Amino acid sequence: MKSKSLLAILLVAAVSCGKDGSLTTDQPSSAEAGYVGTMTVEYLGEAFDNENISVKFTPSESGTTADITIYQIKFVPQMPVTIDVTIPSVTVSAASGTISFSGDNIVPWALGGEMPRYLVTGLSGRIEGKEISFSLSFGDYPTRFSGREQVQE
Amino acid sequence: MSQVVPGVHIPDYGASLTSTIYIRGLGSRMENPALGLYVDDIPILDKNAYDFDWLGMQSATLLRGPQGTLYGRNSMGGVLLLRTPSASGRDGIQGLAEVGTAGSFRLGLASETGHQYLSAGLRHTDGYFTNIHTGRPADPYWGGGIHWRWDKAGSEKLSLSNSLHLNYSDEGGFAYGRYLDGEIQPVDYNDEGSYRRLSAIDGFKVQRRGAAINLNSVTSLQLLADRMRMDQDYTPESIFTLEQKQRSIAVAQEVVISPAKPFRHWKPQTGFFCFGKAKRMAAPVFFKEDGIRTLILDNANRNIPENLGYLDITEKEFPVDSDFGIYSWNAALYHQSAWEMSRWILTAGLRLDYGGDGMSYDSQALIHYRFVPNMSVDKSFETSYIGNLRQHSFQILPKISILYVIPLTGGLDRLTPYGNISKGFRAGGFNTQIFSDILQGLMMNGMMAGLGVHLDHSYASVGAEHTRYRPEEAWNYEIGLRYRHGSVFNGEINAYHIDCRNQQLTVFPPGKSTGRMMTNAGRSWSRGIEMELDYHRGDFQSHLSYSWCNARFREYNDGNNDYAGKRVPYVPEHSYYLGGGYRFHIANHQLAASADFRGAGPVRWNEDNSISSPVSLTIGGMVSVAFDHFNLYLRGENLGEGRSPTFYFKSVGNEFFALSRPRRISIGVDFKL
Repeated sequence: MKSKSLLAILLVAAVSCGKDGSLTTDQPSSAEAGYVGTMTVEYLGEAFDNENISVKFTPSESGTTADITIYQIKFVPQMPVTIDVTIPSVTVSAASGTISFSGDNIVPWALGGEMPRYLVTGLSGRIEGKEISFSLSFGDYPTRFSGREQVQE
Repeated sequence: MSQVVPGVHIPDYGASLTSTIYIRGLGSRMENPALGLYVDDIPILDKNAYDFDWLGMQSATLLRGPQGTLYGRNSMGGVLLLRTPSASGRDGIQGLAEVGTAGSFRLGLASETGHQYLSAGLRHTDGYFTNIHTGRPADPYWGGGIHWRWDKAGSEKLSLSNSLHLNYSDEGGFAYGRYLDGEIQPVDYNDEGSYRRLSAIDGFKVQRRGAAINLNSVTSLQLLADRMRMDQDYTPESIFTLEQKQRSIAVAQEVVISPAKPFRHWKPQTGFFCFGKAKRMAAPVFFKEDGIRTLILDNANRNIPENLGYLDITEKEFPVDSDFGIYSWNAALYHQSAWEMSRWILTAGLRLDYGGDGMSYDSQALIHYRFVPNMSVDKSFETSYIGNLRQHSFQILPKISILYVIPLTGGLDRLTPYGNISKGFRAGGFNTQIFSDILQGLMMNGMMAGLGVHLDHSYASVGAEHTRYRPEEAWNYEIGLRYRHGSVFNGEINAYHIDCRNQQLTVFPPGKSTGRMMTNAGRSWSRGIEMELDYHRGDFQSHLSYSWCNARFREYNDGNNDYAGKRVPYVPEHSYYLGGGYRFHIANHQLAASADFRGAGPVRWNEDNSISSPVSLTIGGMVSVAFDHFNLYLRGENLGEGRSPTFYFKSVGNEFFALSRPRRISIGVDFKL
């Protein structure tokens, strides 16, 4: 059973004190967070929705990069399996309570290793409050995701 | 006994492990038998010990139809009662030596001294079927046994006896040929098929005749150790093999009491029976190179888009180890009374039978895999499946029969119409053979999960809790007519209807498993007519028997198809036997000649009845010359060289048949000094 404490970890902007003692949100978060939402993949000109897709956002210790893992995605509806894909070392920045992230020409990880066939290009996204959204291309598959922070019982 | 007794069909296939008996449409090639076997009143509790060598048998009595009231579990189709020779009071030695085709020979020696009868026998054959892959016989056999029986009447009130049977066999077997394009191919497989067994059965019997009651007690101890090796795919490919080792011990006790002085019209007997049996079984399945590819990798990669890559397993072969501890127990109380009223005989009985089974299982597998081309280093995956199961059941087994004796006039003897209703059951158990499939599914799912691949439909189809099956029950309704004319002519004809419920049938587990498992999947009925005639006059004797059996599924869905209305496979619709012999007296010697014709069929081999074989006919004969102390004989079996199918099954999508043994000729001498 997953512990409640883990489940309660939410994405928040890292908090630091300014000279005047006010709170700022200029530093990216170092906390891991999970989201659930819909991932839309364009296939042969048609949009194909993957419902209830889980996405994990795992910032590095420095908070300047993050790994984004997408669980159980299908690139085409006919796929008899779903796969987990990780986009490593995405560039992260934070400003005014919003975390932005981006990346280009990133080789994702899946099926135990690198998957250059699904090279990530044009990654751009942001986390605002409890919402996340991003878009990218997995090789020839334009993809976008929007989801909400995962609250698990 | 096959076909000689109407309704009984004992196909000759496999090895001593698989002694399948079909009777009145009931039977099973797996797990618990439908026919109970008693040797010298000892219930044989392990089906693996049913097929054994003996040197001479004093008598064999087959009771057809459910005999649950007196004999309890696994007597649903009937009971075979064998009695071994005992000391007759004339000390001496008997012997037998026989040689025959296929390099076969048989030797036996028996000695009778005082209260003891000791016999030993040895049998060998080079085998009747050649495995064309190895060029060697597939079914050589070496076997032998020792039987010791001791009978002593301690006093008028007490009799004691002990019967000990030791048996050892080392044999090939599983001479199965692939069924391809309507033809049965020669035996052709690459891995070992063998069976080795050591069994010891001892029964101690006490008969106490008291002033008020007589008491019969039989206590038995049964030990069995065996090892089977089997090429489970029966092809020249290295797909998968099974090695199964068992060690079992069983103890049984039966006590029967009856009045010392029989009442004039009432003959009651009351009994208590119990047994306990424990078995350790190790049954590793070895997945070999072709099996890893076809059974595991092809199944896994079929679901992965080619452009992503493919899964590979590093091992050339690996075992799925499965260890089981299985125990069963049973306790029963029964009573049967017979009332004789003028020409009527009414018999009624009831058995209360409570029993249970338990199993602990421990299955393990370790493999290394990689996803090509993504992974450059192997990943290991270890899985284990450990747990316990148990179940119990309570059975009420009634029986009622009525018989009327009609004396006949005009030199005839008597006519006896009868009718009876009885219930029997076949014990439940556990599907041990499905555990390698369960592990196979867990491995595939586990490897996939390790790669971050999730199948739309999981491989793991059943859990251990689904591997148990409950007892199968049968009600038998029968009417018949017996005619007896002294020792010259005996005849009997009967008709029966059997309603079988909770029938233990094999099904495809849900999901993608390649295995099959037994479950209580359906109901069936069988209806039939049996007839036998004996004629014996002077030096001529003959026996004729015929059986018609129509056994059909009432309900049976194996998960893929519905077979309601189809005939139950393996059961011959008709069976015939005609045998006769004559003894000539020449000078001081006797010349005896006999011949027999047996037929069985048509047989439907699969559940949808799409594969069947016609009536098979075999001819046998024997000629013997008797001298003062010895006989010489020449015996022939299957003289017409008929090669009829005796068994059918499917493995890894392929179909296989076993064929009857070819013509066998043997010559021998037996003597008595």
